[in-house]
Amino acid sequence: MDKSVFRLDGVTKRYGDLVALDNASLEAGENEYISFLGPSGSGKTTLLRVIAGFEPPEAGRVFFNGRDITNVPAHERGIGFVFQNFALFPHLTVIQNVGFGLTHGKSGLSAAEVEKRSLEMIELVGLSGMEGRGVDQISGGQRQRVALARTLTMNPKLVLLDEPLGALDANLRSRMRTELRAIRERLGVTFVHVTGSENEALAMGDRVVVLDRGKIIQIGTPGEIYDTPASPDVAHFLNRFNLFDGTLAGGRFNAVFGSVAVPHAVRAGKDVYAVRYDRMRALAPTADPQGPAIKARFIASEYLGSSMMNFFEAEDGHVIELEHHLSLGTPQSFEARQEYLLTWNPEQAIVFGREAAR
Amino acid sequence: MSGEISIQKRQSNTTRWLLAPGIIWMSLFLVVPILMIVYVSFWTQTTFNISSDPTLASWKQFFSSDTYTGSLWTTVRIWLIVLACTFIVGYPTALFVGLFVKSKTLSTVLLVICVIPFWTSFLIRVLAWRPMLGKEGAINIVLLKLGIIQQPIEVLLFTELSVIIGMTQIYCVFMVGPIAFMLSRIDRNIIEAARDLGAGFGRIFWKIIFPLSLPGVVVGAIFVSVMVLGEFATSGALSGRKVNLLGNIIVTQVGSLKWAMASVVGVILTVVMGIVIAGLLRIVDLKREL
Repeated sequence: MDKSVFRLDGVTKRYGDLVALDNASLEAGENEYISFLGPSGSGKTTLLRVIAGFEPPEAGRVFFNGRDITNVPAHERGIGFVFQNFALFPHLTVIQNVGFGLTHGKSGLSAAEVEKRSLEMIELVGLSGMEGRGVDQISGGQRQRVALARTLTMNPKLVLLDEPLGALDANLRSRMRTELRAIRERLGVTFVHVTGSENEALAMGDRVVVLDRGKIIQIGTPGEIYDTPASPDVAHFLNRFNLFDGTLAGGRFNAVFGSVAVPHAVRAGKDVYAVRYDRMRALAPTADPQGPAIKARFIASEYLGSSMMNFFEAEDGHVIELEHHLSLGTPQSFEARQEYLLTWNPEQAIVFGREAAR
Repeated sequence: MSGEISIQKRQSNTTRWLLAPGIIWMSLFLVVPILMIVYVSFWTQTTFNISSDPTLASWKQFFSSDTYTGSLWTTVRIWLIVLACTFIVGYPTALFVGLFVKSKTLSTVLLVICVIPFWTSFLIRVLAWRPMLGKEGAINIVLLKLGIIQQPIEVLLFTELSVIIGMTQIYCVFMVGPIAFMLSRIDRNIIEAARDLGAGFGRIFWKIIFPLSLPGVVVGAIFVSVMVLGEFATSGALSGRKVNLLGNIIVTQVGSLKWAMASVVGVILTVVMGIVIAGLLRIVDLKREL
């Protein structure tokens, strides 16, 4: 981060008794792709709307380009916003939508200049030749691009995208991921992308901001978030960890799988033992696990192309997932309803606890 | 395949049965009467009798008499003025109810309030304007008491003005309803997006809100037009017989058993309405909105 584009300082927002944002602080640099990850109701959209200026915060300040913009109305902030449902003007054509801000705002450009810039932007998002179409005559992915182009013509330094891929089908979603990154890199502006999908957040963000119940609970690169989640909640959202509740006491973790020595633990509000899906192994029930192990019944498997997900059910009903990367060789085959012994290397586990040895 | 054919056959049978009641009803009570009116307008009318010998006499009489052609222009003039008034009064109301009121419940309540006057009979609603507008009516009394005027305003009642006031009040709600409906369907994010792109309220209204509400305006205008063009009661009760609309002529002609002349006026009124509706429908493509 060379230069800060925007900064949030202790932003708080309430709706009645509900605290939508609780003392959120954050700084974003120029030319960055930031994704906000959190479950619905975590405050990620509220945070975006506060930055955009659609919602005033109760407390805290918002800075943009070094200026305090907390009380500046949305349209004077120079921040672009792409709505979840695109919010295109349904009665206008593609080029009229894209040029709307230049035509009706304070740009002072002549009609010819507006057309030229709109056409450039339409080309940038790959919609050349469609400028005369009505926005109800184009596909969902194309509408997404129109919404983006409409925002980008205003030359914002910061573009906020509210679940931009949520309304697209899976195939288009993965294509637009690459597209969005490419468009952003060409323009060199900062994108803030709100999503409920951990894959999207990790794949797209240079940095990921994880939110839960109005609080920012972790900020980091996708690698940091993935390898060292700061709390059991983060590990839970990432949807890549088997989590076991238990107790951490005297350097040992006690849970359904017995007692395991814990060399290193992360301080957190509750005691949770996390093992990544792809760090689990399944053995025959009679084998010697040489480490922690838990008995579980095989339920089903799911082929994901590059890996195989296997689902097991422990005796207490807890579902344990085991991922096998196919590049590592042919996956084991399991018998339905058969019991197996699931084990892992305790050094690769992430342990959270109130009594952390940090 | 025979199976497919029999399904198609059954479907077309169902279609026919579903269409039959509507077609029978419309033929008996719309198509046949219209044809009948056109036919009767060419009948020969004598003072006490009417015969089916074809003649253009009634048509010639209509177009050569200043009274009749005058009433055609009065009808068109009153229609245009009332249409404009209902729009001027109705659009801001609809804007408030459909767009500015955020709660759906409140906007429904407000629409119901607009409809409350319809719980009384049409005639009472019209006649209630007499004690309001009369020389010794409520408006004059209040203005005199306040010292704003020294003499009661006499043009308020039994003039074209009173007819326009009465009709605007009665038909305004038919303008408000469809416009408020279209406005309430506008996605709020669109307005937020326009604001975020730097457009001021005026631009947002003229470029986004108004065009999107236009189908509602057209539907409202069709309702108001059809009702105003066929009016006779309001003008009869509030104009003191000074304003004669085509509707009033039909009433008088029928009253004196001049069926041929009544039919001529009826045909002309139907043609005028047809032109007005066709014209209004050219403004927007209503099919796209449904």
